[in-house]
Amino acid sequence: MRRYGPAVLLALVGAAILRVSAFSELYLRYVQPGLRPCLVVSGVLLVLLGVVVAVLTRTAGKQDHYDDLDQDLDDQDHSHGHDHGPVGPRVAWLLTLPALALLLFPPPALGSYSAQREADQRAAQGVGSFPALPSGDPVDLTLGEFGSRAVYDSDRSLEGRTIRLTGFVTRDDDGTWYVTRLLVACCAADATTARAEVRGADAPPVDTWVTVTGTWRPEGALGSDAAWPPVVDAASVRQVAQPDNPYEKR
Amino acid sequence: MENQRTVADGIRLGLRALVYAVLGGAALIAVVTVVSVLGPMVALDLYTPPVAAWWTVFTAIAVQGVPFLLLGTVVSAAIGAFVPERVFTRLLPRREVLAVPVAGAAGVVLPGCECASVPVAGSLMRRGVAPAAALAFLLSAPAINPVVLVATSVAFPGQPEMVLGRLVASLATAVVMGWLWARFGREEWLRPPKRSGAPAPGGGPRAFVAGLQHDFLHAGGFLVVGAAAAATFAIVVPRSLLEVFTGSAWLSVLLLALLAVVLCVCSEADAFVAASLSGFSPTARLAFMVVGPMVDLKLIALQTGTFGRAFALRFSAATWVVAVAASVLVGWWLL
Repeated sequence: MRRYGPAVLLALVGAAILRVSAFSELYLRYVQPGLRPCLVVSGVLLVLLGVVVAVLTRTAGKQDHYDDLDQDLDDQDHSHGHDHGPVGPRVAWLLTLPALALLLFPPPALGSYSAQREADQRAAQGVGSFPALPSGDPVDLTLGEFGSRAVYDSDRSLEGRTIRLTGFVTRDDDGTWYVTRLLVACCAADATTARAEVRGADAPPVDTWVTVTGTWRPEGALGSDAAWPPVVDAASVRQVAQPDNPYEKR
Repeated sequence: MENQRTVADGIRLGLRALVYAVLGGAALIAVVTVVSVLGPMVALDLYTPPVAAWWTVFTAIAVQGVPFLLLGTVVSAAIGAFVPERVFTRLLPRREVLAVPVAGAAGVVLPGCECASVPVAGSLMRRGVAPAAALAFLLSAPAINPVVLVATSVAFPGQPEMVLGRLVASLATAVVMGWLWARFGREEWLRPPKRSGAPAPGGGPRAFVAGLQHDFLHAGGFLVVGAAAAATFAIVVPRSLLEVFTGSAWLSVLLLALLAVVLCVCSEADAFVAASLSGFSPTARLAFMVVGPMVDLKLIALQTGTFGRAFALRFSAATWVVAVAASVLVGWWLL
């Protein structure tokens, strides 16, 4: 039975990848939307490879026995650091950890804990003018874009507009609260934070997802540290479900 | 006599089975009770925000790595199974000194991040490519391929010198490391990437499947090790802590070069991370992008798996020094 270890392992990893990418939107908790086709293809390939390896293991029959002997000899040749059991690389069993985690209890999206530990993302690098805001009232903005425009836009395109921001709630010790979103470039390991201070509304519990509608309140000189984080005067705060993609593209 | 012994044996066997069943059953019941009562309590206690964040970052790195690892192992298994050795001897210059820069520049053609390049370099060596040339390819491929260069230009808009600097510094590091290996490298450090369990070097589809299975599982295991290390660093050391050290130019170069090692960001994304480290000098950020695809915890784990620990530690340490030196020189010249 143990001979089928590698086949099972390949199929397990493939199934885990497919479970989060093809059969749900869970992959968005870990990586960017653009990776989905790659993930689906990899998942299918891995499951197929598992099947092929299982079939080969089965038909190999007696010949496999000799391979095992060969492997034992090989192990003696270079036992340092290259631990091969009789059924392939032993270190490979570590793959069961992320695979089972994804299959049984997919880890949650990063939230306030990570947001409070990471540095603020200051997207734009200098004061300048921005392209015109899209029409619409209120206009939906990402927190990254809101921050850039609030702090760096010399045309002050946010002035006089009603804006709508969606994110989760984080709080400072002194009671100020923020609508916050994590920005991800590639995978959740590189997350940075974008946030806007919310005034004029009571703070919902930390980590609740909310949509804040309101107007921008200018603070500090453009581009200065005092302008961070940008402030929004809330007209309404509505609780919403966590969006499929919990992160913003950086 | 014979009969009596058989009966006695039978009784003894029965008794032993009974004892095993009782003991094993009792142990099983005890374990199940303890786990089912205490398990949820302990699990809830342990599943604090840092632990949850650790699991998320850990799985994220693994999920992100799998497609690229698979691409790399498919290419490497295909090289091993279908490309005859003479192709490489014909393509690469006979002299090692010339083969190194050619192999380094050939890194342009493998559009993936660093997870893909380790198995490919291993299979190149198996196919008789000089180790120095294969290593130059290993270092340059994840750093200078078009996907990575485009990502860099997107992350640093209006700063083409950053893209050029990255290309030049990465290629220089790869070629210098190849030459250093050709001059000082010793065969015994490099455990030849032999593959046990693979059919004889006959090639063909069967060899392809065997190679693919072995390489993917093996490298995948080490990817998990690297992901765990990176996730641990991400949780233990917040990035905001590092922004404290932005004052000194020298310190910031060394700091970002170390950060690249522990963060293990894929080469396709590290430009965005570098761009976000806005407090640091351009040279320091260049060092981050040059070191990252060549030396990081995930790569050290992968190289340990493919080439052995003696190699991985020496090679990574030397590469780190050369990469920092190259980025400082190129940064001073271009940025």
